[in-house]
Amino acid sequence: MATQDTAVDSATGSQWIDKDTRETIVTVVRHTILLTWSFIVLFPLYWLASMSLKPPGTANSLPPEWIFLPTVYNYIQLIQDSGFVEAFANSLVMVSASVVLVLLIGVPAAYVLSRYDIPMERDILVWILSSRMLPPIAVVLPFFIIFRELNLFDTRIGMVLMYVSINLSLVVWVMKAFFDGIPETLEEAARVDGATQFQGFTKVVLPAAKPGIFSVAIISFIFAWIELLFGLVLTSFEAVPVTLFVYSFIGSRSIEWGMLAAASTAMIVPVVIFLIAVNKYLAAGLSFGVVIKE
Amino acid sequence: MAKITIDDVTKRFGESDESIVAVDDVSLDINDGEFVVFVGPSGSGKSTLMRIVAGLETQTEGDVHIGDAVVNQLGPRARDIAMVFQNYALYPNMTVEENMSFGLKMSTEMSDGEIEETVTSAAEMMDIGELLDNKPGELSGGQQQRVALGRAIVRDPNVFLMDEPLSNLDAKLRAEMRTEINRLQNDLDVTTLYVTHDQTEAMTMGDRLVILNYGELQQVGTPLECFYRPSNQFVAGFLGSPSMNFFEGAVEGGTVRADGFDYDLTERMQSSVGSRNEVVLGVRPEDMTLHDRANTSHEFEAVVDVVEPMGSISYVYLKAESQGHEQTFIVETDGQRPISEGDTVYVEIPDEDVHLFDAKSGETIHQRHLGDDAEIALEEQMQPAE
Repeated sequence: MATQDTAVDSATGSQWIDKDTRETIVTVVRHTILLTWSFIVLFPLYWLASMSLKPPGTANSLPPEWIFLPTVYNYIQLIQDSGFVEAFANSLVMVSASVVLVLLIGVPAAYVLSRYDIPMERDILVWILSSRMLPPIAVVLPFFIIFRELNLFDTRIGMVLMYVSINLSLVVWVMKAFFDGIPETLEEAARVDGATQFQGFTKVVLPAAKPGIFSVAIISFIFAWIELLFGLVLTSFEAVPVTLFVYSFIGSRSIEWGMLAAASTAMIVPVVIFLIAVNKYLAAGLSFGVVIKE
Repeated sequence: MAKITIDDVTKRFGESDESIVAVDDVSLDINDGEFVVFVGPSGSGKSTLMRIVAGLETQTEGDVHIGDAVVNQLGPRARDIAMVFQNYALYPNMTVEENMSFGLKMSTEMSDGEIEETVTSAAEMMDIGELLDNKPGELSGGQQQRVALGRAIVRDPNVFLMDEPLSNLDAKLRAEMRTEINRLQNDLDVTTLYVTHDQTEAMTMGDRLVILNYGELQQVGTPLECFYRPSNQFVAGFLGSPSMNFFEGAVEGGTVRADGFDYDLTERMQSSVGSRNEVVLGVRPEDMTLHDRANTSHEFEAVVDVVEPMGSISYVYLKAESQGHEQTFIVETDGQRPISEGDTVYVEIPDEDVHLFDAKSGETIHQRHLGDDAEIALEEQMQPAE
């Protein structure tokens, strides 16, 4: 690069751009691009948050009021609405339970698929994935009928099972890849060291797989947390998830923009808290399977 | 401390129809405190054989004894062994100290205080006392290797098993650790099985070598015995670097007619050859000499193809031409000798350095001559193994 540029410079006989200037331009361009991108990503979030802090009636006025006196009126309304608090707590409990359950089922399943010679392993994996191949809208009515027959309609247990069915294939596939990347010699070393096969799994492999487990946990949490369609069809009063409650602000004649924005903002909070809590594990987890260098 | 007996052990992988024989009817006695190296090319079954001793694989047939007990049915945890793996297999989420104490916690009733004491002294022995609080990911390859060895010695096991422990290190570190493992094994006097594909490691480390190829035992013996008295062509070619040169030839009235030259057999050789029509003549690169002109009938003409200067010596790749055939072979010469590509030289094969092998079975039919002292020393070495 450098020699080429020098050659061009000497050929044209002009030095209208020196090295320092060029570096400055590169820096400026780079930052401009990054800032623009950040703006594109963050502006909707800002819009949502600011909308939630506007007094009723002005939330969606045109032209938008860029400068306004923030008010927590919408949030107070929300908290005083027992329906919202109930749905929020309901969702937290159901989604958390589903994440625990999906890990309890999916992680051991992935481990077995990774470590043992299972006949038709490939087919089993595809079969597990096939549970997510149909669009949700195509299976929601069968779900409804099955839930009604099994008395799971509008129950928290039913919702937990439904969330598990959404996330199980993801957990199995990602964790299998993750376990594949953990050398089998680790367990062999543990067995030679006097551990049983089960201790080898719990004391050596599972801790090594922590980044992967936390990654699938947060992804499963988010998928279940934002789920709307199944909640809409499979619940009525008892097991209503928070997404459904937020959806209720979109009325047939009017939309309560302020309340909608406040509820949506509140919905982001648990996800952010979860993310911060497991953040240190995620960096390694998202580069699946490369935890241990050979 | 324990002796190990491997009795007619066979290991087959896969279904009976298309199974692969990894270890083929191997029997072996390993003495208490001995350092035995399993060596062979990849796929020779050396690792499988070690894993059978470890209990990580189960043999299809045969028995393994450690000490006086048959351990066929015992898992690795009941065999009182320690193993060092090629990729070290350090537990990534544990500190060095936790790595080293894991085995003691799992397999002994020692108190925390005793464990800490044992780990500290083993860590000092391996010179890793400073690293006890680090995670394996923070260590260099050499340090990880030391931790892996430390984790093995801290257990004070009956048997050490080492599966290519040095192959991930760079050349300099590898040479260092080779000496270190030798020293360690001498100090601890624990029966040690060591798997490697590297013949230098095998030659320099083992009390005895177990040379395997395609799952079959080729030769068991001291390094020098295997080097100077190879039992077959495979062993002869496997040990030594560069490899022994082999010349196939037909035997016609006391002369071997090889590609590019004729070689007159001595009387002793003729009696070893007997009625065979085809033999393979083997001679090591360092035993052949180059001359600028022919002096005796045992020399033949060859053209220099490539010269590899190593410093004090050079490896000269030569081609002997005849009837369109080309036979390439290597001769070691003095590094100061001026020689270059395209030169014509005369190659001498000294009678006393020649091995002869059966062309079909590869069995050795004639061994090279050794100096009298060397012969006696080697025979003494061979005694205990008999």
